[in-house]
Amino acid sequence: MRPFTLNYTLPKALPPVVMSYSFDESRQLNVLPDGRPAVSDPELLLMVGTTTSTAGSQTHFDD
Amino acid sequence: MTVLILTSEEDVTADMVVAQLHATGTPMMRLDPADLPGKAVLSAEYTHGGFDGRLSVNGHVVSLGGLRSVWVRRPGEPAAHAAHPSPWLTAETRQALFGVLHSASTRWMNHPRNADQARLKPWQLRVAHLSGFAVPPTVFTTSPRLAQQFAEEHRDVVVKSASGPPPGDPALALPTTLIGPDADFSDVAAGPALLQRYIPKRADIRLTCVGARLFAARKTAEPGQVDGRYGDTGHSWQGIPVPERIGRSVHDYVDRAGLAYAAFDFAEDEDGHWWFLECNQGGQFGFVELETGQPISEAVALWLSRREDVGDRRCHRPRRRSGV
Repeated sequence: MRPFTLNYTLPKALPPVVMSYSFDESRQLNVLPDGRPAVSDPELLLMVGTTTSTAGSQTHFDD
Repeated sequence: MTVLILTSEEDVTADMVVAQLHATGTPMMRLDPADLPGKAVLSAEYTHGGFDGRLSVNGHVVSLGGLRSVWVRRPGEPAAHAAHPSPWLTAETRQALFGVLHSASTRWMNHPRNADQARLKPWQLRVAHLSGFAVPPTVFTTSPRLAQQFAEEHRDVVVKSASGPPPGDPALALPTTLIGPDADFSDVAAGPALLQRYIPKRADIRLTCVGARLFAARKTAEPGQVDGRYGDTGHSWQGIPVPERIGRSVHDYVDRAGLAYAAFDFAEDEDGHWWFLECNQGGQFGFVELETGQPISEAVALWLSRREDVGDRRCHRPRRRSGV
């Protein structure tokens, strides 16, 4: 017997995302390969889904 | 005076606020508790009735007496990146880090004590009711018979998790799911189930509260759509005004809960009424800001960099009222 709620889990298609930014320890934020802050490219952020309401839910349960 | 942001390096939503703080020249330090001990170093000495010391990481240093505010965003588990991690080391590190921070005179977004309480879904519904929101009939139960009765009474009900998908399996989703009274409820005995009357909706509403500022966004739902977080409806988030009555209830809610930041989810029904679904004390906001242009990260940065306001109690203790 498994908890009732878990009967409604679904496999999630994980996007084949390769992060194109890295953390800059000095500036304390993520930067693109050309040095610009990652947040300067909103289309990229939306594409990788790292700011959506389900992002982070695997380790933090606040959507 | 320095803003301390507790979050992981991968958190690009936090980057949006970091960029705002940089733009205004506000001193800040970003630290992931997972990096303590290791990259991050804590030293705090108890003298003269308080702690004196410092936190440092990646060449950045903050003195405990110089903390302006603490933003608990997406922190890793303390000591998770240690050379020899263990549950004991995590507990010890949590004691040291958060014990010292709790002792500091600073403002919190959100205070961990209030955040822990605010995560409890049953408590959210009670506070939402007291704050004047419409709340769908809901049951939490381990009784298959009661679950069946609830479903027969309300016919269309949804099942959802109170705490999110099981941790550790990123390939697993647990969307809110519509079920009917014909479901087999026997497994309810194996774990608490959260059942709620389904609200047929024409839109999802995301309302982000930062201090006293409110940002509401609306996304049109597809007919029969249940969980707006999953599936592409072809619609995007649009900024909308906050109805006056809803705004009053939001302020009342965060005041009762002692929250400086909260992200509310509502279902807008076919008559235009907003039904409270949940309040995420650490809810994401990046997707709303990117789609609507609402200046949420700026509002967060302003709140964090503001000087102490003794009249703002949201960072300290929730307001006590009868029934909560």
